[in-house]
Amino acid sequence: MSNLNLALSLTLNHPSVQSVIEIAKEVINNNNVLDTELLYNLAKRRLKFPRKGLLSIIQLLINKKVLVEGSKYTRDEVLNNRYRFNLYNFLTSYLGVHFSSIRKQIITDKSGTLGSSGQLIWHLEMLIRFNYIKKIKIKNYTVFLPYEIDDEIGLLHFVLRDEIYLKIIQLLISNVKLKKSEIHKLVNEKRETIYYRINNLIEFNIIELSGDDNSLVLNSSKKNDIILIITTFSQNNSQITKLNFNNK
Amino acid sequence: MTLNWTPEVVVAFFVAIIGFVLTITTYIKPKTKKITSLNYIRLAILVFSIFIFIDGLSILYINEFLSIISGFILVPFTLSLVIGVTYIIKENFYSLGFVLVIGLSVLFIYLGFQPNAVTIKVQGGYIRLPWMGLFGNIGMTLSAIGGVFIFYWGIKTLKNAPFLIKKEAYMFFLGIFVASVVSMVFYVLYLFDPFYIVASNLALLVGLLIITLSVMIEPKLLYILPFTVYRIMVKDREGYPLFDHDWSKSEISENIFTGFINAVQLMSEEIMNIGGLLDIQLKDGILILHESKNITVGLITSKSSKLLRSSVANFTRDFEIKFEKILMEGNKDMKKYESAQELIEKHFSNFPSRIITHKRKPLLLTELLLKLPLSLDRDLKTIFKDEKEYNFIKSEIFRTPESTAAGFISLYKELKKELDGIENEHQES
Repeated sequence: MSNLNLALSLTLNHPSVQSVIEIAKEVINNNNVLDTELLYNLAKRRLKFPRKGLLSIIQLLINKKVLVEGSKYTRDEVLNNRYRFNLYNFLTSYLGVHFSSIRKQIITDKSGTLGSSGQLIWHLEMLIRFNYIKKIKIKNYTVFLPYEIDDEIGLLHFVLRDEIYLKIIQLLISNVKLKKSEIHKLVNEKRETIYYRINNLIEFNIIELSGDDNSLVLNSSKKNDIILIITTFSQNNSQITKLNFNNK
Repeated sequence: MTLNWTPEVVVAFFVAIIGFVLTITTYIKPKTKKITSLNYIRLAILVFSIFIFIDGLSILYINEFLSIISGFILVPFTLSLVIGVTYIIKENFYSLGFVLVIGLSVLFIYLGFQPNAVTIKVQGGYIRLPWMGLFGNIGMTLSAIGGVFIFYWGIKTLKNAPFLIKKEAYMFFLGIFVASVVSMVFYVLYLFDPFYIVASNLALLVGLLIITLSVMIEPKLLYILPFTVYRIMVKDREGYPLFDHDWSKSEISENIFTGFINAVQLMSEEIMNIGGLLDIQLKDGILILHESKNITVGLITSKSSKLLRSSVANFTRDFEIKFEKILMEGNKDMKKYESAQELIEKHFSNFPSRIITHKRKPLLLTELLLKLPLSLDRDLKTIFKDEKEYNFIKSEIFRTPESTAAGFISLYKELKKELDGIENEHQES
């Protein structure tokens, strides 16, 4: 290109423009931060275009939005995305929610603008990647917690969000000691359901067997936390409300 | 008759010649010539060249009358310079400088007719014709006002020069600095030693040379201050965008912009005839709309002016001619209209682009041009059936740490079981 009277003939398909795009791609693929100066210097060295012509090409690429302003995400920038910001707020407000529950809220959102499961998982992964949240596995459920929340506290929140678990625990708070059969009678659910949950609670170390009569009691070291969480739930009327992802 | 050739005369003639060249340059180089502010600046340069030429002649011929005439020419020079710079900044003639120059000029002209306004003296070994007394002081003050305004213009131009022409703007500012500040410093020293008038004129000469050179290299320097042109958009009569071009980021949102164009298109028969122009005052600028047979063109700018309106009208006309065939076919493919770029160059070439805000501003390639590793791309396409969503995730991947995409795929697989459960449940419900 001897004389770059480019401005008159520049289109994106122009070979000179394509050569500059290739250089930009190379910089980005090598994980370097691309900026006008770097692109200009590299292209100038390799393509030997005159200054004005090269600047016209870069200008065209920005004008046609082939090059857009932006850089690799920093931790602060990750929450600039409204979807992620609202998702993070939701996970902070409703500790112990599991993936299925979050997803359910999104699928049933009437606005229809919240995208696919894939998109939700992408945003969860981004929040994990930048240490905003972490995931813990509880039985078959994946629970997402704010990064700074203790796993044990997360587990308690998860358990207490379940109506049957909650009933069992409330019974043990008011009665101190109960047998499995007594709990089953009082909760009025299928035997297998109750026994399955009781076994889980033992496994989670939330309740324990007491004495020879196989009575169940609350783990005393967790009792205060449990009462506090239940009180907070009742104060906040903490039913999971619909996610409002469309509001700022 | 013996001519009084002195170094001051020679330098004065050189300065005058450079001044004339600069006047012609500022007329020839820019493609758009009718800008009020620039007409005044051009006039100021021309008048200054005449002033310095006659000043040189007065010494050459040792003629007091010519010296007084040259003094009088200082009045239109300062006045046109002050008006030009004020007009560039605020599209208005009036400023404190304007009132000051008018007041001083009346007194200056009166004093010029008084005896002994100019005397013939031997200074520094050469015959000179210095302005005397109050006439000399006011002449010096007028020159100083001119210097201050030129310097102010230089600073504003440098400050507002976009990245693309910053290099030339520095050169332009250097010229202005030498021609105003350096020259004025020598002019003040002239009060103590007449030799410094030559140094002052030499500084003017060098400054003007640099200014001329920078304007020849980049005529857009003269258009930095009068307007900021933000954006132009061409739509067909059905409202489909055919072409758009940005000069700089505008505060006016896309919705307002397209909304106005659509509204005007709907009401066009009532508010403007085909071929008509309309200015809409928006909060952050002016939208100039032009309607023609097949297209509507909207230009957003900081100020409206006759020049911009005629540029829009001419651009519209040429767009219609250039793309007549595909416009008649109703072609809506924006790629087909990309070559309208040359019409931008033709009609808006003087307006500098501010689209590159800073040379170190990080940039990314649009996700449409970026290529992911094949297996990752395949996985993503399986997960994201919607193209918009796929492109969004792709653009995010390029902004995240390297292993994020792999982490995502693994998390997706892990959650898929839970996911399928809910989706089945949802379908059943």
